Amino acid sequence: MISDLLSSILNADFLYSVIRITAPILFAALGAVVAEKAGVTNIGLEGIMMISALFGVLFGYWTQSWFIGVVGAVVVGVLLALMIGFFAFKMKTDIVIGGIAVNMLGAGGTIFLLDMFTGMKGNTGSLVTRELLIPTVDIPLIKSIPFLGQVLSGHAVLTYLAFLLVWLIWVVLYKTPLGLNVRAVGENPNAATSIGVSVQKIKYIAIGISGALAGLGGAFMSMYYSQGWNSGMVAGRGFIALAATAMGRGEPVGTMLSSLLFGLAQALRTKVSGMQGVSSYLVSVIPYLVTIIGLVLYAISIKNKLKKRHPVAKGAE
Amino acid sequence: MNDRRLLLFSLVRGLAAILLALAVATIFIFISSDEPLNALKYLLLGPVVSFKVSGNVFNTTSFLTILAAMIPTIFSGLAVCVMFSANQFNLGGEGAIMLGGFVGALLGIYLKLNTGLHQVVCVLAGALAGGLIMLIPAVLKVKLGASEMVTSLMMNYVVMFVILHFLNFVFADRSKGATQTFPFQETAKIPEIVANGTKLTWGFVIALIFVVIIALFMYRTKWGYAIRMIGINQSFAQYSGMQVGTVIILSQVIGGMLSGMGGSIEVLGRFNTFLWRELPGYGWLGITIAILAKNNPIFVPFAAFFIAYLNKGCDLMATYSDVPSEMIDIIQAAIFLFFAAEQFLAKYRQKIVVRNAQRDLALQESAASQGGKI
Repeated sequence: MISDLLSSILNADFLYSVIRITAPILFAALGAVVAEKAGVTNIGLEGIMMISALFGVLFGYWTQSWFIGVVGAVVVGVLLALMIGFFAFKMKTDIVIGGIAVNMLGAGGTIFLLDMFTGMKGNTGSLVTRELLIPTVDIPLIKSIPFLGQVLSGHAVLTYLAFLLVWLIWVVLYKTPLGLNVRAVGENPNAATSIGVSVQKIKYIAIGISGALAGLGGAFMSMYYSQGWNSGMVAGRGFIALAATAMGRGEPVGTMLSSLLFGLAQALRTKVSGMQGVSSYLVSVIPYLVTIIGLVLYAISIKNKLKKRHPVAKGAE
Repeated sequence: MNDRRLLLFSLVRGLAAILLALAVATIFIFISSDEPLNALKYLLLGPVVSFKVSGNVFNTTSFLTILAAMIPTIFSGLAVCVMFSANQFNLGGEGAIMLGGFVGALLGIYLKLNTGLHQVVCVLAGALAGGLIMLIPAVLKVKLGASEMVTSLMMNYVVMFVILHFLNFVFADRSKGATQTFPFQETAKIPEIVANGTKLTWGFVIALIFVVIIALFMYRTKWGYAIRMIGINQSFAQYSGMQVGTVIILSQVIGGMLSGMGGSIEVLGRFNTFLWRELPGYGWLGITIAILAKNNPIFVPFAAFFIAYLNKGCDLMATYSDVPSEMIDIIQAAIFLFFAAEQFLAKYRQKIVVRNAQRDLALQESAASQGGKI
């Protein structure tokens, strides 16, 4: 059994699927990175993904263009995030509660909206045709490299965008004035205010960006990954993204690595659950268990670091 | 006097939030339905009125089923009250309820005890299981600083899949087509208060008793005080010498025990065998209820009634008109946002506060000037 497993893992197809499965988690996790940097906890990522996934399909169907579908998903994601922001920053609703509200809209509200717009129940069925899926691209040179080409080439446009965004968001956060402001607001809002930065404005921008990224994740799910929208589609990826961000220490590159770890766990689950004598239910636990273990390891490492830095605190404990 | 006006204000404010949420629902119904008035009739009146040609009459059976639906949500609402009061955003209620239900069910099937004792053992075991599972996010939070929110969310999925594994491969009743356990023994079932098929079991009475117990615990004991104080200002609680870590763990274990208890009471009262194939959703309802109750245990039954009423209304609306029952999620989300919004109608609150202050000042001045004359 072990050798079966190894041979099914150590091939190009499997690594290709890891990258594919990682992309939507990475989108949402990068959204969480930007929000966290500004000191905003956006737990509504799950709901935003669900709703923008639905609207991606709907806009795509209405305009018969996958591109407008994706843009629509992003716009919806931004609007939802700004709504959370409005209630949290302006109306002083606890932001966790605002996020849960959007997650509720994502769970049940989407079914309602789908019924309202199309009369369909629970999934978009035939709305998504082949032409409306996000297209895949082959990368010219890499494509012809034997093993690597199979793994890295032929992904959807958005998959490449997800990994490109890791770099882009790092640049924005660390090399631009906006990024500086975002980090300042997250680390010390009072200091940021004192030098004339509008904390509210920066928080709105940060949560808006997180909504846009979750929207891309949603569009990826419905318009490529599962080829249509259905009610159980996002399945906790928004929450896993939060965990990936926590484990990646809130940094773009670290978050990408932990997202890949969750992608690996999910891909493993798909592989193993097809094998004889393995309980698909216990295998399904893997990604969530990995998340918890990852969080624990991360928390321990932080704790050790603090102890090294402040030996006095160790004695005080 | 001042307090009474502010209390009145918070009542009016809550009502306004609920009305606003229902207004949002109405707008959606008018957009989506071909027969909006019919849909609204079932949503708002359907739960307690049966519409007949001869006239509309109060529907007692339906009313009792609403009360029955409150049993698990009172428990999950109380659980969230305790945890959120300590500022612990533990969202693991779902998993704890399912686990409590499953453990209670297993003991109800395989343990041989006299009725009376049997139910008590099953429910206590369910509570214990719920409390133990919540220990994990609680201890990780206190010892390592890992976010209880993320770990508890992940725990929900872990609990669900592990239960499904045992349900499918270990405890399944192979003689049935559907995946389910063997039937509960009669000695383990929680009976109805009046045997009329409404599923209004003695669990309802137990739930109300726990409302009182948790209210007393939160407002009349040292531990309850510590939980609330940590929620208001953790640093202050720490500096005043409270054992913050212990209390944070305690709050989540109590939350887990209440959830587990609610799960086992629901399973043993409503069903003949364990049927849950996914997370039951009562944990999320508990959050809505706790928000409506402003984390005050005494208000939990009222909030639970409101939610159960709405749920029933949405179900009826979906059955007798063309609006899907998922409407409930939109209403709940709107309630969430407006009810929890501190700034909602804050201007009016400000006005009341200012007016009261001015009046107090005027009274003081007149008292002072009178004092001066004498």
